[in-house]
This record gives sequence, C-alpha cells and structure tokens, in this order.
Amino acid sequence: MIIIGERINGMFKDIARAINDRDPGPVQEWAKKQEYNGAHYLDINVGPSSTEPVEAMKWLVEVAQEASDLPLALDSTKYDAIEAGLKLCKQPAMINSVPAEMAKMERVFAMAAEYGAEVIGLAMNEEGIPKDADMRVGLAAELVATADAFGISPDMLYIDPLALPCNVAQDHGPEVMRTLREIKMISDPAPKTTVGLSNISQGTKNRELINRTFAVMAMANGLDSAIADACDDELMAAVASARIILDMDIYCDSFVDVFKQRNR
Amino acid sequence: MGLTGLEIYKHLPKTNCKDCGSPTCLAFAMALASGKASLDACPHVTDEAKEALDSASAPPIKLVTVGTGDHKVELGEETEIFRHDKRFFHPTGIAVLISDSEDVAAKAEQFDDLEFERVGMHYITDMVAIKCDSGDAGKFKEAVETVAGKTEKALILMTEDPAIMEGALEAVADRKPLVCAATSDNFEKMTELAKGKDCPLVVKGSDINDLAELVEKVVGLGHKELVIDSGARETSQVLADLTQFRRLAVRKKFRLFGYPALAVTTKDDPKEEIIQAGVYVSKYADVVVLKACEKQQLLPLLSWRQNLYTDPQKPIAVEAGLYDVGEPGEDAPVYVTTNFSLTYFIVEGEVESSRIPSRVLSVDTGGISVLTAYADNKFSAETITEAIKKCGLEDKVKHKKLVLPGHVAVLKGTLEEESGWEVMVGPREASGITKYAKDNFAGGVS
Amino acid sequence: MAVEILKEKYRSKVGEVVLGATKEDGGTRSHTITVGGESALPYLHFEGEIPNRPVVALEVWDIVPEWNPCFEQYYGDVYNDPGAWAKKCVEEYGADLIQVRLKGADPDLKDHSPEDCAATVKKVLEAVSVPVMVIGCGKADKDNTIYNPIAEAAAGENLVMGVGELENYKAVTSACMANNHVVIAQSPIDINICKQLNILIAEMSPAMSTRIIIDPTVAALGYGIEYSYSIMERARNGALQGDKMLAMPMYGNAGFESWRQKEANISADEQPGWGEQEERGILWEATTAMAYLQSGIDILVMRHPEALKAIKGNIDDLMKNNSY
Ligand code: SF4
Repeated sequence: MIIIGERINGMFKDIARAINDRDPGPVQEWAKKQEYNGAHYLDINVGPSSTEPVEAMKWLVEVAQEASDLPLALDSTKYDAIEAGLKLCKQPAMINSVPAEMAKMERVFAMAAEYGAEVIGLAMNEEGIPKDADMRVGLAAELVATADAFGISPDMLYIDPLALPCNVAQDHGPEVMRTLREIKMISDPAPKTTVGLSNISQGTKNRELINRTFAVMAMANGLDSAIADACDDELMAAVASARIILDMDIYCDSFVDVFKQRNR
Repeated sequence: MGLTGLEIYKHLPKTNCKDCGSPTCLAFAMALASGKASLDACPHVTDEAKEALDSASAPPIKLVTVGTGDHKVELGEETEIFRHDKRFFHPTGIAVLISDSEDVAAKAEQFDDLEFERVGMHYITDMVAIKCDSGDAGKFKEAVETVAGKTEKALILMTEDPAIMEGALEAVADRKPLVCAATSDNFEKMTELAKGKDCPLVVKGSDINDLAELVEKVVGLGHKELVIDSGARETSQVLADLTQFRRLAVRKKFRLFGYPALAVTTKDDPKEEIIQAGVYVSKYADVVVLKACEKQQLLPLLSWRQNLYTDPQKPIAVEAGLYDVGEPGEDAPVYVTTNFSLTYFIVEGEVESSRIPSRVLSVDTGGISVLTAYADNKFSAETITEAIKKCGLEDKVKHKKLVLPGHVAVLKGTLEEESGWEVMVGPREASGITKYAKDNFAGGVS
Repeated sequence: MAVEILKEKYRSKVGEVVLGATKEDGGTRSHTITVGGESALPYLHFEGEIPNRPVVALEVWDIVPEWNPCFEQYYGDVYNDPGAWAKKCVEEYGADLIQVRLKGADPDLKDHSPEDCAATVKKVLEAVSVPVMVIGCGKADKDNTIYNPIAEAAAGENLVMGVGELENYKAVTSACMANNHVVIAQSPIDINICKQLNILIAEMSPAMSTRIIIDPTVAALGYGIEYSYSIMERARNGALQGDKMLAMPMYGNAGFESWRQKEANISADEQPGWGEQEERGILWEATTAMAYLQSGIDILVMRHPEALKAIKGNIDDLMKNNSY
C-alpha cells in the first residue's frame, strides 16, 4: 500500500504558521518524519486560508524537497498553484485532485501529460458525490476514458471513491467497498485507487481505530494507496499485516519493521 | 479473466442513447464487465463488435491437439506466467527429429523406446518429427510411412515445400500430424493442405512481427488449429520470443499469439542440446524439437518437464512403500516417514549420507508432511502398522525395531502396542539422522 | 505488423556483491568478480539490465571425497592436494572461482583443527588467483570454531564464507564482519526464513547487508527441484518489486545435490533402461544447473568438468542481447 503522508497541510496550525513566516523548520521536520515512518509520497497542501496559494505552493515544494527525496502529491483546487509546483518538482509528482468534470479534467490531464504526473481522480462531478457504487464506478470510468484520450495510461490514475464520515453517511460504506472492487474492471492495466483515510472518521470517537479498520477492509477490496498519517504506528502495523494476509509481501518474522523501513 | 469496461466500451456505439437502461455507453460497459448486464440489452451493437467481444472472452491460449487416441498430445491452454501463481497444465511435447536422409527405421525404433520408469512414474518421449532433408517427395513420404509404422506416437511433418508435404500428409492424415510449417512464401498452400485434412499447422515467421502478420493471414483463410514459431533459433532470442508469446497472450489477450508455441534446438553436441531444450521447456515452449535420441540424454529432460508441470498447490507424493538405501541386509535399520516427496527425499538423503545401508518406510499420508499428517490422523499407529504389514517388513529384517521421527515421539506407546515392533525415537529434524545413525547403528541393529 | 512488446516496469533491482579482492583492496586475487545487479527476470535483456554474468565454481575438498568413480580421471591425481586440485579446476576446467569444502573438519571424519582448515584455505589462495568460497563441514558446533581462524588468516581476501542459518548465523557473520568477507545465508527451502535471516544478518551490521549471498537450499532434478525453482522465482520477483531483504544474489550447489542421486550414479548394467551412466550424470547435473539459471541463480557450484563446460556454453548463449 502506497502511503501519501498527509501532514504537510496548511490546515495544521504549525504548517500554517510556517508558511506565513516562511520558516522551513516544521515543514522539513514533518517531511523527514513521515519519510522515516514509511510514507511513499508527501502530500503538499497550502491550506484553505492561504491568500497567495501559488507562492505558498512553490515555497512548500522547494522546502520539502530539500529535506526529503520522496515524490510529492500537490494538493490544491487551484490548478495554477499545482502547475507552479509541478515546474519545481525534481521527480514526477502526483496531482491531487480532479473530479469527473470535463473542463477540469481537460486542464488537469493536459498538465499531467506535460509533466509526467500521476493524478488522483475523484468519483464525483458537478452533481456531487453519488451514493451508489454503479454511479461512482461510472464516473471513475469517465476519468479513465478521458485520461486515455490524453495518452495517460490508466495506471497513472488513482481513483478516490470518496468515503464520507461513517457517523453521518453509514450507508456509503458498503458502496465504497464495492466501488473499489469494480474500479479494477474498468481497464487493463486497471487504475489505482486511493482514499483520504481520515475522512471516514470525521467527528467520530476512536478515530484511529476506525481509520485503520477502514484501511484494511479497503485493502481487501483493492485499495492501493491512502492519504494518511504515516506516523500512526498502529495504522502502519495494520497495513503491514494486511499486506501479508493479501500475499502482497513475502512474510518474515520482522514483517512490520520491514514495511516501515522499506524506504530507509 | 473477463473483459474490462474500457475494452467493451471500445466496441459500443458511444451514442449514449440510454436504450439499454444505462445512462451512458460507458456505464453499460461497466455493467457488462461486472456481469450485471448482457450484451443483448443494447439493440445497436454491430455483429462485428459482438464477434470481437465473444472471441475476447475465449481462453488466452488455444488448446491444440496433435495425434490421435491414447497417443494424442494436447498443447497450450496455459494461463500462467509463473508456475507458483497456479500451475502449468499441458506438459511440453518433446519431439525427436528424424531426417529422411538417415537410417529412418533404426532411429524410429530407438525413438519409440525412449520411455522411462522413475520413482513410480512413467515418462514418455511423446512426439517424433520427420524432416525432409532430401528434397525428394517420394523419399520423404516413405520416411514418414516408415516412422508411422514403427511408432504410434504423435507425428510432426517438417518441410516448407507444399508439394513435398502433400504426399506425406495424405499418407498419415488420419494420425492427425502437426504440419510444419507455413511461412510467408507458402502459407496459402500449406494452410489449404492442413485445413483440408483437419490437421494442426505450425506458422513460422521470420521474426515476432512477421509471425503476427502471418498468423492473421492464416486465420483469415479459416484455419485456427495453429502452433506458432517466431523463426528465431538463438537461445536468448527464443527465450525472449517465447516469453513475449506467453505474456501477450495471457496478460494482453493478444489473439495472434494465443496459440501453443514451438521451439527447435540448434546445438549439435547432445549435452548442449539438452540444456538448450531445457531452457525452452522452462520458459513457455509447448513443443520442443531436438535431435538427441539416447536414453541418458532424454531422461534428465523428461524429468525436468515432469517436475516443472507438477501442481505446486498439491503436495507431491512418492509411492508409499519400502525403499532401500544402499544394500541393506537383515540387520539394517528401518526409518519411518511419510510419502510427502520433499520429506521423503530429505530423509533418504540423510540416511544415505550416514553410509549405513538402511530401509526407509514411506507411509501413505496422501503426500503430506509428518506433523500435518499426524494432526490429520494419517500418520498414526494404525496407518504405520498397516504399512509395515503391507510391505512385508517382517520377512526382510530379523530385528523388530523402527525409527520414528522425533516430532511424533508421542506415538511410541500406541505404535508399539498396535504393531508389536519396538519403537526408537529418532531426531526431530532430518538433519540429525546422520549423527543418530552413527551413534546407534554403526554395528547394525542389535 | 509491429507487435507491442510487453516489458515489465520494475521498481528495484538485485544488489551487487563483489567477491575476492585484488592488491589495491588488500587481497591477492588477480581480479574480483561482481555478481547480482539484475533489473530484469533471468536473461530478459529486453526489459532491463543483466550487468553481470552468473559465475560457475568447482569444488575442492580437504579430504579425498567418495565420489562416483567417473571423477577419478579428472581429479584422481589431485584428490590429495587441495592446492593442485584448485589449480586444475581453474586452469584446465575453466572454473570462475573455487569453493573449498572443509569436509575434513567433521569430528566424525578427520576432525581437522581450525588451524588445519585455515592452512588449507591459505594453500588454495596461493595456488589460484580467482576468488574463493569456503564452506564448513556442515556440523554447526565444529564449524563455529573454524570460521574465525579462517577469516583472520585470509583477512583482506574478501572470501565468501558459509553457511549461516537461522539458528546459527552469528559466528560466521561476525567472522565475516570483522574481516570483510561475504556471508552465505542459508534457509531450508523456505522463503520466509530466507528473508528473516537476511534481516537478522543486516541487523548485526548494516554494512553486511551488501555482503550477503542467499542460499535458498537447492534441490536436485527429480528431488524437489521445482520447490527451489519456485522459491527462487518468487524471491527474484520480490527483489525486483522492491523487497530489499530478498534482493541479494543467489547461490546453489548443483554438483553436490545432483551427484547424491541415484540417477547420476547408477550404472547402465544395473539400470539398463536409463542409458549410459557418465553422460546421464553429467546431464543430471547440468539440467539441474540450467533450471537454477532460469530461476535467477547468480553463483553455481558444479562438479563434473563436462557439466561445467555445457553450462558455461548455455550462459554464453543466455547473455546474448535479446532486445527488440
Ligand atoms: S443502448 Fe447501446 S448505444 Fe445506447 S447507451 Fe446503451 S450501450 Fe450505448
């Protein structure tokens, strides 16, 4: 499972302050920490309140790359900010994200093709997030077909079926699981899948338990990656175990350490 | 594996007319891919699209049969790249080459005798290829008839001249030989001949691209019982081509390579030739044609084929019974183990390196290891006692002592009661046997 | 028609390990050998690099071995002299390197002392200039006493030493660590233990993680070879897909395993249905080695000079480029 470390996000106070003061300290600390704990990508998000998203993104990208060699996932709804960031990335990055809306897909896929970037595609459109799996899969298929038209191979796409908080939208849970399974039938190679893991537990008690339970259930249904807290040791241990049970890694007695240390 | 949504979508009209009940063609394609709808629901799909979708759901590699009756050889219908993912199904046909310019009758007899008994199994060299080197249609036909008269095994007829092929094929068509080969120069005639006699046909390209083109043409002429050959003869290139055939057919459903593959050796030294053939057996050839024809040369190759095509999910059993290690006498020790082949061979190897002639009693546990069989009650006082009786152990040794694997020491009491034999508890791991034997049996069993 | 060639995109590759050391690096070998480094499945040059050809060793014992009589004509005159034996293997039979098996250390055989063992290794090192591998007698208690003296006596030579097993890897690993040798990590036809053992050795010293050779315990043709074959295929796939703890070069002794078997040894008189003995034995060994090569082995140990010759010819063929 590919872990996209979620911590460099202006939503968090320390990062917001760092962006504001142009203080690389906290950003680089989190970059290193997440890498050390087994993240494969670093999510980079300037946060909702940024007044200068393009400049902030450029700064974050540069500062993060000084501290870590991990590829970046540029996370913004402002495509100009993403494009500015892509120009600075030393290795192919990921674009987070695009919904199945034609205008946005055209902008993002053109950019992805130009910079060789992977793309997170959201199973939603102008009408919002559909409830049932068939509709979600249909939107996923549109993302794949449109990307294909831009010469982007389906396995460059990470489809997010969009999990909603389980305390308010419990009936979405099984639909998300089914969506994950059926996305693999869209094409060969199949698109990859991802989720924003902590969405599932917004506003609930015992968030970490819900997150990691969701992670292993989703993995059993074909989840390839998650935007998650790489420093959550219990989560990483659960993911390591799931990988063994699903025959994705070869077992050995030190399997948890091996999973966490694979990037070191 | 079924078709993906995108593959289906490419064959749909893409008008999003909603007549099928789905909001878009793409959504309908996804419903088809996940088995929730049937293609009939779209009234606008063309016949070509229907056929394309049908053939795409056929197995990735076609099953082709050469020969008839008990001696037929089934080739292809493989589904895996690695045997550990599931298994390989139809063992490579091993064909010995006979030239029409050598002593055909003698070699045919020698060929027909290339069968072996080994560890309770029977290995057969299952195909024979007759090649026209003389350029003489009469001579070739005579050679083919001679071979056909000497062996009932599956035949391969090798000439690229349709005029020479015709007579020979006529003579043995009822044996369903493999016609070898159609090339870009002769494919129309060769296809007509093979198709007319309902015989499988080798399509031989000058490289992988040329082959694809040629297969398309031959299929276009209506013949589908095909075996493919890229024409490459260098070991490394053949390995690459055979790998591409298997990968493209299995992973990409590339129809033009969805046929069994043939490889031909080039080495003149028989040892080098067997190794070269071994590479092709390992990596995806469905037929290998070679010249080597001595027993000591074929036995290793056929053993490798047998090993490679076993089912990795199924434990492999040796035949249960009593095995001699060295030349054991009346006072030789007796070791008891299961008939799981790996366990048995390890025990046998260790007993052998003790250099004390012994017997190993392999108990029928359905091919599972000592501890698993014990837990399953298949390695118990009863089954061991039965095995002792069945093999007539009592008449072969004058003592009444058995060595039991240390892991199942708990069986000692009940086994002694049940069988009347004295049970010695051996080491837990086979690696301890050599020392154990030297400590206990240096002077025979007392 | 241009066929779209299917090439795997692998994330990683097998690590390279250097065997032997020349004068510049504190040894006395005329050259070193690098094994590993593959970024493709065996000999699929079209999808990656196979930078180093697999190498083939012949084995030299420190006692007269009880091998099939057919070996008499090749080694009979040197059975008593490990140095001369090694020299013959390299100069006449074309071995890339030598494996010394200190069988005589076995307490039940000659019980050679650790000093004797070190002297034998020294003798072989003086007789040949190729890299050398050293294997104990197979009895762990005794072997643990000989590793250090040998490692010290040959300090700087970058030997390959073995074997370390899950229950007994520390002695040989520390001997290698202290004197910069390479260790053979042996697991009993079990990929999980194979991986765990590599982890444990790497934990003793991170520097050792690039000085490990995997011995997955190979079986002979007809005697479980398919298990070894699949384990090596899985390990190599794992390595290419990024499993660093399986990304070491692999080693196997085709000679030793094959010549233990009836099929290699039994005479044609006793088993007329199987054909002539010596050629059958040679091919039993060479076919075994061929299968190891196809599953990804990097270091082969052979016994019969004719088998070695055939397999080297096969390696020459397999190393030819097959890019599209
Ligand atoms: S009926 Fe056929 S053409 Fe019309 S939407 Fe459905 S699939 Fe498309």
